[in-house]
Amino acid sequence: MLGKRYEAQAAAVDALADVSFTVEAGEVFGFLGRNGAGKSTTVRILTTLLAPTSGTARVGGHDVMEEPSAVRQMIGAALQEAALDELMTGREHLVLAGRLVGLTKPAAGERADELLTAFGLSGAADRVAATYSGGMRRRLDVSMAMVRRPPVLFLDEPTTGLDPQGRRALWQHIADLRSEGTAVFLTTQYLAEADELADRVAIIHDGRIAAIGTPQELKDRVDVTTVRLEVGAASRATAAAVTGDRSGVPAMLARLAAAGVEIERLAIMPPTLEDVFVKLTGSEIEVSAGLGEGGSLSAVRRGLGRS
Amino acid sequence: MMPLRLLLVRNLREGARNPVLAYALPIIIPLAVLVLVAKTLYRVTELPGFPTTNYAEWMAPAIIMLTAMTGVGYAATSLVIDIQSGFLDRLRLLDAKPTTLLLSRALFDVVRVLPAGAVLLVVGIALGTDLNEGVLGVLLLFVLLTVWAAAYGGLYFVVALATRNAQAPLALAPLFLPLQFLSTQFVPESLLPGWVQALAAWNPFTYMIDAARAMTTGPLTAGPVVEAFAVALGLLIVTHAAARRAFVKAVSGK
Repeated sequence: MLGKRYEAQAAAVDALADVSFTVEAGEVFGFLGRNGAGKSTTVRILTTLLAPTSGTARVGGHDVMEEPSAVRQMIGAALQEAALDELMTGREHLVLAGRLVGLTKPAAGERADELLTAFGLSGAADRVAATYSGGMRRRLDVSMAMVRRPPVLFLDEPTTGLDPQGRRALWQHIADLRSEGTAVFLTTQYLAEADELADRVAIIHDGRIAAIGTPQELKDRVDVTTVRLEVGAASRATAAAVTGDRSGVPAMLARLAAAGVEIERLAIMPPTLEDVFVKLTGSEIEVSAGLGEGGSLSAVRRGLGRS
Repeated sequence: MMPLRLLLVRNLREGARNPVLAYALPIIIPLAVLVLVAKTLYRVTELPGFPTTNYAEWMAPAIIMLTAMTGVGYAATSLVIDIQSGFLDRLRLLDAKPTTLLLSRALFDVVRVLPAGAVLLVVGIALGTDLNEGVLGVLLLFVLLTVWAAAYGGLYFVVALATRNAQAPLALAPLFLPLQFLSTQFVPESLLPGWVQALAAWNPFTYMIDAARAMTTGPLTAGPVVEAFAVALGLLIVTHAAARRAFVKAVSGK
């Protein structure tokens, strides 16, 4: 459908080397990467704020370089840092945005009230942004991105700084927008969030797309099995990754038994997006489990080995 | 025009929320200079060749023009904050032209100066300044004050945008001090030392003062008025062309 599809093929010297993908209408596209991987650069290029050094990108059928104004009229964006005026109230932010996109004064006021209610900001609507908490700032910024009901929405780490309720409410909002046909480009540091929300995911590493596909496709591609076990009297939970499929597990258990390690609990877990991410980028974003007894755990890790 | 109006309303609202900083601050220094000088140094009028016996009347027109120099700068700082906070990016995403933001800030600079000029005019009258050129003179005075404020404020925008430092414009604030002394603000040209006379001829503020006197105490002749507007408009074009270039560069992320 016209205006609900965008493609990008951008390359900016230091930040982006080779990035190309297409996002469809009614799709949530998760864009994952470590800090400095090129996520925000990609968002800034696609939202016309930054010119790519080479390559082209089209959003809603319009070239971001040739027709920036046409692109801006199709998109809403909440960038990584909440872009607020400390001296304006929440309602004034939304009314100004509404007026700037061409709404009449009453229509802009109505839209502002809708969004304030939807984002739980009604109570703080007439307070200046300087008094807002981090989560409220984030919610106001995201609501500003939605003022013009854009067919394409960019959210750059929108849930950073939100409390669990705020995060869940935003997830619900994104799911609703998707069902209305909005294309959502979502960058996030939270892999569980991408797993929950995204129809497709791209992992960007060193300015290149390292993998792209549905979360399930990506998980199927990695041969990592995580074994979570509690060992010894200390009974501390610990996780170990096995490279390879589950067939390595019996051998690992035999080695642990031979080393005299007592296993109290054991779980074999399917690959997660985090496993995919670690495998492709060589690093973890989230630390998922505390380490157990130093000695025995390193034995476990060695025992599991890269066999 | 619509976006400009919306952004100007935004600035006026901010000013109304912080009236001391926005409107009272530009008044303080000129008011202090006028009252203190008129009440302490009034005997300079006894110098041979001094054109008036009321020193307040001599000082008031110059001090009104001084409000332009103490009143501007706030807007340049605010503009840098708009860039740093991402608010400018937000406006660009809403498809507003970035230069509209620059223009709205520059206009507010002028809006801030006008009440200060009015207060100083009233105080000047109270201290015995005669408005011999009537309403026309006062109207011209405020038009010149507007242009002068915009021109002088342009300097602040250039410095703020070139450094991208919200504090940098503060460093420009003391500039009005040498400009005052190297002009005809305190005494007529004939009483200035020769080297100061030479510098004063190159000081744009001298032209503002001479015209302000012609517009208030008179006599209102074309010469100083035309010269002052030429100088102020010339400076306006130069400072704002430079400010605009620095702004476009800042927006494009260079």
